[in-house]
Amino acid sequence: MSWLVGTFGTAIGKKLFMSVTGLCFCLFLVGHLAGNTLLLSGADAFNAYAAKLQSLGALLRIMEAGLIFFAVVHVGTGLYLFYQNLQARPVRYRVNASGGGQTLGSATMPYTGVLILAFLLFHLVQFTFVDKGDAGVYALVAAAFAQPFYVGLYILAMAVVGVHVSHGFWSAFQTLGMNHDKYFGLLRMGSVVFAVVLAAGFAFLPVFVGWVA
Amino acid sequence: MTKLDAKIPGGPIESKWERHRFDLKLVNPANKRKFNAIVVGTGLAGGSAAASLAELGYNVKAFCFQDTPRRAHSIAAQGGINAAKNYQNDGDSVWRLFYDTVKGGDFRAREANVHRLAELSVNIIDQCVAAGVPFAREYGGLLANRSFGGAQVSRTFYARGQTGQQLLLGCYSAMCRQIGTGKIKMFPRREMLDLVMVDGRARGIVVRNLISGEIERHTGDAVVLCTGGYGNVFFLSTNAMGCNVTAAWRCYKRGAYFANPCFTQIHPTCIPVHGTYQSKLTLMSESLRNDGRVWVPKNPGDKRAPGEIPESDRDYYLERRYPSFGNLVPRDVASRAAKAVCDEGRGVGDTGLAVYLDFADAIARDGRATIERKYGNLFAMYEKITDEDPYRQPMRIFPAVHYTMGGLWVDYNLMSNIDGLFVLGEANFSDHGANRLGASALMQGLADGYFVIPYTIGGYLAGTPLSPVSEDDAPFMDSARQVTERTQRLLSIKGHRTVDDFHRELGSILWDYCGMSRNNDGLAKAREMIRDLRAQYWQNVLVPGRGDDLNQSLERAGRVADFLEFAELMVEDALARQESCGGHFNEKFQTAEHEAMRDDENFCHVAAWEHTGDGSAPQRHTEPLAFEHVHLTQRSYK
Amino acid sequence: MATIDLTLKIWRQNSPRDKGRFETLAARGISTDMSFLEMLDVVNEQLTLDGREPICFDHDCREGICGMCGAVINGRPHGPQRGTTLCQLHMRHFADGDTLAIEPFRARAFKVVKDLVVDRSALDKVMVAGGYIAANTGSAPEANATPIAAATAELAMDAAACIGCGACVAACPNASAMLFVGAKVSHLGLLPQGRPEAARRVLAMVREADRQGFGNCTNVTECEVECPKEISIANIARMNREFLKAAIASRER
Ligand SMILES: Cc1cc2nc3c(=O)[nH]c(=O)nc-3n(C[C@H](O)[C@H](O)[C@H](O)COP(=O)(O)OP(=O)(O)OC[C@H]3O[C@@H](n4cnc5c(N)ncnc54)[C@H](O)[C@@H]3O)c2cc1C
Ligand code: FES
Repeated sequence: MSWLVGTFGTAIGKKLFMSVTGLCFCLFLVGHLAGNTLLLSGADAFNAYAAKLQSLGALLRIMEAGLIFFAVVHVGTGLYLFYQNLQARPVRYRVNASGGGQTLGSATMPYTGVLILAFLLFHLVQFTFVDKGDAGVYALVAAAFAQPFYVGLYILAMAVVGVHVSHGFWSAFQTLGMNHDKYFGLLRMGSVVFAVVLAAGFAFLPVFVGWVA
Repeated sequence: MTKLDAKIPGGPIESKWERHRFDLKLVNPANKRKFNAIVVGTGLAGGSAAASLAELGYNVKAFCFQDTPRRAHSIAAQGGINAAKNYQNDGDSVWRLFYDTVKGGDFRAREANVHRLAELSVNIIDQCVAAGVPFAREYGGLLANRSFGGAQVSRTFYARGQTGQQLLLGCYSAMCRQIGTGKIKMFPRREMLDLVMVDGRARGIVVRNLISGEIERHTGDAVVLCTGGYGNVFFLSTNAMGCNVTAAWRCYKRGAYFANPCFTQIHPTCIPVHGTYQSKLTLMSESLRNDGRVWVPKNPGDKRAPGEIPESDRDYYLERRYPSFGNLVPRDVASRAAKAVCDEGRGVGDTGLAVYLDFADAIARDGRATIERKYGNLFAMYEKITDEDPYRQPMRIFPAVHYTMGGLWVDYNLMSNIDGLFVLGEANFSDHGANRLGASALMQGLADGYFVIPYTIGGYLAGTPLSPVSEDDAPFMDSARQVTERTQRLLSIKGHRTVDDFHRELGSILWDYCGMSRNNDGLAKAREMIRDLRAQYWQNVLVPGRGDDLNQSLERAGRVADFLEFAELMVEDALARQESCGGHFNEKFQTAEHEAMRDDENFCHVAAWEHTGDGSAPQRHTEPLAFEHVHLTQRSYK
Repeated sequence: MATIDLTLKIWRQNSPRDKGRFETLAARGISTDMSFLEMLDVVNEQLTLDGREPICFDHDCREGICGMCGAVINGRPHGPQRGTTLCQLHMRHFADGDTLAIEPFRARAFKVVKDLVVDRSALDKVMVAGGYIAANTGSAPEANATPIAAATAELAMDAAACIGCGACVAACPNASAMLFVGAKVSHLGLLPQGRPEAARRVLAMVREADRQGFGNCTNVTECEVECPKEISIANIARMNREFLKAAIASRER
């Protein structure tokens, strides 16, 4: 067994992929949210931000490619873990109960993950891989969020993201071996706070844009 | 009466072991791999022996009845392990540990063995630390000690209240390493049901595979028996449920002598019995007596709650009777004292069979936090079982069967009278005389396994011509057939009483007549009762299920059948020993102050019993004991 | 003495090949001072006298230290009480008329042998892979030659308290054994005596756990709350750290 397989093929190795890519997504989400808050400043500011991004050219392509690659790794590994974990208990319990360890986030990771993937594809089709025309991306967004259905959908999706991140964030640190008596409580709480801020921040935008429109 | 040869080496006691090691023949390193050793039992004695022998290069086959070696009964030891390191600078030495152990054993142990044990004690701690045992430490990083079990120096090393667990994990991990190298072949869930002899030597064993029911035959060049004690003959004891006499008893029936079977230890601090359904008794570590004070009401029948009984109406009877040792007197003394006050009607609790162990003073003196740090896990265990909070009301405790000093007779090399059968740990009789001091059993098990057997087995193998044997040889086939027949017989009785029911009755006979105190009439009566019960057993026991799969009732049935035979020998031994010593207290032989009175003139010896056939009386042999270094005195803890 | 009546829905399975089924049994007049296993003893005595096969369950010490007992009671390994093995769980924690579903620990790596008895030898295999310090008998240096800070020794002891019962595996939604492996890696790795082999040990043990078919840890932490010895998931993080260090920085392969 080559040491690479013996490292990254193990339970911990696979989780390493999950945690590193997951943390990158967290970072991405922070950036994305920061950018998107420009929606609050109106069409011009947001369109200018979009144009600026586009002007990065190759750099943007590389970042996009990176994100896609990370997504493939994160989703692929996640599904494989999910499959393996199902295999690890072929006969299920008749009664399932929790001793209090699991949280909404940890109990639903694979499911929230798949929902997020579906949402992501939808989101990309809706706003990214689409002809933005002359009106600019703000108009596209405003048009979408004028419809309560999309607002509702995005709020729901952000709730799911929040649930996923509430576990994923601290869990990534745990997987990397970062667990310390002094900071562990803070990290676990911080993880929930981070998830709520992210989800609420993202969810607020469609509401705001829809309301303005 | 034949005299037994203990093969004690000559010369000054301090250098006997060293010289003996030099005199023992060695097996050439390249030849070690040609020898196969069978190690039965994977507790501290068996685990350390198996690992050490494998490290030397012998091929080891190790057996235990649990699903993994790490669950042997040794795991339950709480309090600690003694060693004469004198780290505390409080006057300890190899000599003092030797002296304390001989005296604590009420002068019924072999001086030479005990001295060796004390010498080796220091190496054990080194070995355990190297193997990763996380003993308690001082802030500076050096090892901590506490005083324990009737010692006036602090020589006990401990890992919280889980010392046995940590020591066993040390042995178990050393075994794991050797299992990995292929030097140890581990056979878990096997119960040894017979010893196989070829040409008068121990050459193998027959075991039952507890999962498949298969009767397996295993050959070896020596058999090392480390199967623990027989305390469960009393049904209720602090021993794990599976502890048994079967392996030792099967060896006895093949000719090994059983020594001092009546020497059983009743531990003073256990949670009292509280129901007929009860399956076992739980020990509250003796370390509690370092801070807890033992008392009962002064007046018989005082039913007030403990908190309502004023100081003036309390009798701190250990402190009163033994001012210099107080609550820390040895176990036999403390247990008998508890029985005495209960017999006077001063026992507490619903049954009147309990005394108080009170921490109120210690908590007031040191604060609750200190007591919690020292005994938190024990207090929690007490509360779990009794639903009472020992921080607020005194614990109720009562003596319970705990350890058996008796066992198969062995010589200085730990070899029984059968060539090639070595016996280690609690299964042998050797080092504790008539009473074991606290924290000495773990020490003995590890001394035997780590540091004695690796030398003495070599001496035997190098000096003995051994012909090749095969599992298919007649002695193996015969033994397997007998074992199968016995199993079938137990299954075919299909009577009306369960195995546990018989076992419980046997236990109560022994507890009443061969327990904390004994008398000749009672013992004679018990002998008859046991014979009756045994006869009934073979006619009326109900063992459900089959023999060819996992059948826990059948496992118990075999063990109880052996207990029923063994119990008679125990009573016989108690009757034959017309004196009191240590854990053996015959009411006829006591001082004016009700202390045990030895008869050194007639009984300063080991009694070793030989099986002479079913239905015929066993023969009693003796090994005289000489005390040249610790002078025979009346034990006093006043 | 209070007594209660219970209905047991208990898993019965004759052999590893048998499909198994739930059987409903009545447990009457159970004293609340009994332990859970004593309750099963009482039921078994009755089954025996009725000419039926008693329920097989593993147990030995009945003091919560050997790690031999264990079953899942109403979905909870070792039952509902925190920090308590099945043998130490007392019936006073149940109410008259309760129905208890009693199932064996379930995992691919733990085959059911019979009824509630499972084969946990996979845990031993993980230990054989590297759960030791290679210190031959006789070669140990003086015990006090290497001081170990009391706090470190305590931390090692916290991990070493593991009784190897397998409740962590049973509790984990993924049937992962990482709390067990983490505890072993931590116990030995925290001590200076265990450092020389630390890298080799963690790689070997983690790989072996995979080979035995345990699931992957997703930090659900059910193990920590169900562990009868309350072993912390900090040990899992420590193992992860050791693993990364070993895989990436050490020369071990
Ligand atoms: C509750 C409790 C607390 C104690 N605390 C202390 C203490 O603090 N300090 C101290 O020094 N001592 C203590 N002791 C005593 C000490 O634990 C034991 O005497 C000691 O551990 C015995 O070790 P052993 O290796 O001889 O046998 P055990 O540990 O009993 O091991 C016996 C082995 O033999 C196997 N076996 C038995 N019968 C068979 C068979 N028929 N076939 C196959 N295998 C078999 C078992 O599977 C097991 O592996 C305590 C005892 C008890 C009960
Ligand atoms: S029987 Fe030993 S832990 Fe429960």
